[in-house]
Amino acid sequence: MPTVARPPRRHSLVWLQGLGCGAVVTLLPAMALLLGVLLLPGVLAVLSDQQPGRPVARTVLICGTAAAIAPVLALWGAGSSMDACLGLLGDLRVTGTAWSAAAVGWILAELAPVVVLVVLDAITATRTARLRAERNKLVEEWGYEGEPDTNADAHE
Amino acid sequence: MATPPETLIAGRFTVSLGQPMPESGGGLPCFAAKDSRSGDTPLIAIQVRRDSPARAHSLQMLGQPIDGLLTPLAHGPAPGPRGEAGYFVICPAPPGPPITGRLRPWPEAALISLALRPIALVLEKLAGHNVTHRAIRRNNVFEGRRGQPLVLGAAWAAPPALHQPALFEPPYSAMCHPAGRGDGRIADDVYALGVLLLTLALGRVPLADLDDAAILRRKLELGSHAALVSEERLPALISDLLRGMLAEDPEHRPTPTLLLDSAVARSRRVAARPPPRAQRALPVGETAVWDARTLAYALGTDAEQGIGALRSGTAVQWLRRSLGDVQLATRVDELVRQRLADTPGEEPRADAIMLMRAVTAIDPLAPLCWHGTALWPDGLGPLLAASGDSALAGKLHDMVAVEAPANWGSLRPERCDVPMLRLEARQNRAYLGTPGPAGGRSRLTYMLNPLLPCASPLVADRWVMRLADVPAAIEAAITANPKAVPLDAQLAAFIGARGDSRIETETNALTGNAQDVVNLPELRLLAELQVRYHPRPLPALAAWIAGAAAPMLALWMNRPRRRELTERLKALAAAGQLLPMLALLEDPPGRSADAAAARVAADELNRIDAELAAIAAGADERRAVATRLGQEIAAGAGLLALTAMLALAVLG
Repeated sequence: MPTVARPPRRHSLVWLQGLGCGAVVTLLPAMALLLGVLLLPGVLAVLSDQQPGRPVARTVLICGTAAAIAPVLALWGAGSSMDACLGLLGDLRVTGTAWSAAAVGWILAELAPVVVLVVLDAITATRTARLRAERNKLVEEWGYEGEPDTNADAHE
Repeated sequence: MATPPETLIAGRFTVSLGQPMPESGGGLPCFAAKDSRSGDTPLIAIQVRRDSPARAHSLQMLGQPIDGLLTPLAHGPAPGPRGEAGYFVICPAPPGPPITGRLRPWPEAALISLALRPIALVLEKLAGHNVTHRAIRRNNVFEGRRGQPLVLGAAWAAPPALHQPALFEPPYSAMCHPAGRGDGRIADDVYALGVLLLTLALGRVPLADLDDAAILRRKLELGSHAALVSEERLPALISDLLRGMLAEDPEHRPTPTLLLDSAVARSRRVAARPPPRAQRALPVGETAVWDARTLAYALGTDAEQGIGALRSGTAVQWLRRSLGDVQLATRVDELVRQRLADTPGEEPRADAIMLMRAVTAIDPLAPLCWHGTALWPDGLGPLLAASGDSALAGKLHDMVAVEAPANWGSLRPERCDVPMLRLEARQNRAYLGTPGPAGGRSRLTYMLNPLLPCASPLVADRWVMRLADVPAAIEAAITANPKAVPLDAQLAAFIGARGDSRIETETNALTGNAQDVVNLPELRLLAELQVRYHPRPLPALAAWIAGAAAPMLALWMNRPRRRELTERLKALAAAGQLLPMLALLEDPPGRSADAAAARVAADELNRIDAELAAIAAGADERRAVATRLGQEIAAGAGLLALTAMLALAVLG
């Protein structure tokens, strides 16, 4: 009896991520609040991006994370207190910067494929034009469009 | 205005078209002629008709003059009286007018010494050359002064016996198509001499009030001697001679040598019983048949009625009951039954074969009767020439295709050379079956008529009889009409027939319909003709070929090369030599390279097409790649920013 190859079992890491988040919320609630607010656009992007690998959400999260590094260090330096957290969150520049970075990441993720497509199409058009020129030259020189009749002796 | 130079025949004879001599040609157009070397001898030039070729064998065999005969001296083409292309046979002029208008009863001594002996001597010499005359008739026998022997006219400018009236022909020759009577035998000349003797003895034409058909019927029903002589009062010697000379069976007629001694000749008794007559007549078409010979004639010359009479059994019944010939009736009945038992395929040919066999069974002396036409097998050539494209030609085609002459000969082996007939029939069938435009009936016609001019409309204004004449004739035709195609089927067949083994390959290579285009095989043949027979330039023909070389240039695949070849071809055409043009177009190494390059170009083209197709089909894939790549780039930019912020945080 033939054996049927089974697909490899994929282990979910969601529970581990949940455990990590729960630990952060329990141990550092101010840090968790700050990260939750600053990375809110990234979280929303993760929820809305249905593409495999969530490429748009990934870029939004990365950009948001880059903008959140400075406030996180500042909160850490302030002892991770709730007051410092609320103070940082109350600063519009901190939140605005983080959310703007996330927006830039989203725009980048949306525009980059278009730009690449334009570049690829331009390259293809150039190649097509060159091939057509070669083809026209051959047709003009040999006088056939499709499969040529190379059995010339058969005409005699 | 300068008069054009006179055309010399055989390099020495000229035709004086201004001096017609209508009485000297035995019924054919005749003119005075001159010998440029010895201008004193009076000569005549007898004009040959285009569809009635001169007798090649006789002209070839009669090299030396024969006393008492207008022996051919030369023959060749020259302009005719209306400026048309003509062909003339040069002979000595007759010593006087023909006997037509000078008939009087000749005494017996004069008949023997001035008519019988001189003409018998001529016939003896002709027989020695294996030649027959076949034109002994009133208007072709000439009388000089009184007391001079009679002179036989020329018989070389038309097929044998073509112009013979039924009176002077044995019935088995008279019933044939005039062009299909063949060379026959010297015994047929003896028969004609017998009729001539009778005419001279009587001083009038026997049976003058009957037409040819009635004379033939009378001869068949009564026998020639009874039909012509029975009611006439003749000297005993002449009567005895005529009994032998007018015998129906050529084997029973005296030879010319025997006629030289009239006493011996008269002693040769021939039974001349009239054929048995039936109690009642059998109607076959419009003929009321009373005897077996007339039945054979009626069956053989009226095919439809004849086949009907045989198939219905009325002919067999008549033979058995009315004529009382049971044996003959049984033989014919067997033939008919055999035919009816055959498969119905090829019915017209099978019926024609049945009819031919029945006629031969009823009358073994009868000629070959094929589908209503009687002919002797050696008359096939002139008959084909005369028939052109008529229905008769189609019948002859069938006859040759089934080798009917061999079949006919095997039915009467004691009266003909069966192996020779079989060989000729096979050869003729092979010519007929030659494929391509150079084969078929035209090829056979030219093969059997060595002096028949080419019948192509292209060279109709010329008398083209030899291969050497062809290139110049084509050149003149193209010059006159540049739109004409220089090689049609008639020309191809003519070249095939007249050509030797050296151009056989080129001729047999012609395929398809040569009337449409000139292709490499045609050019090869024309070039060979020019090289072998006409080394002078043919600028008009060369220019035509250069202008119509598209089919040949199409063999080259490379278009720039074609254009280059076209230009070079035009340059070569100016010189009028076809061989360099052929070499340019053939060029085997060049053609091989061209074909190889064409294959490479084809592969390249296929590759390009495949790539273009792949590009056209790859839009979705390209979009997917662009999306994936763009997102990777965006993520990479984000990571770069993240790395930079981390570095700033660590350093700062």
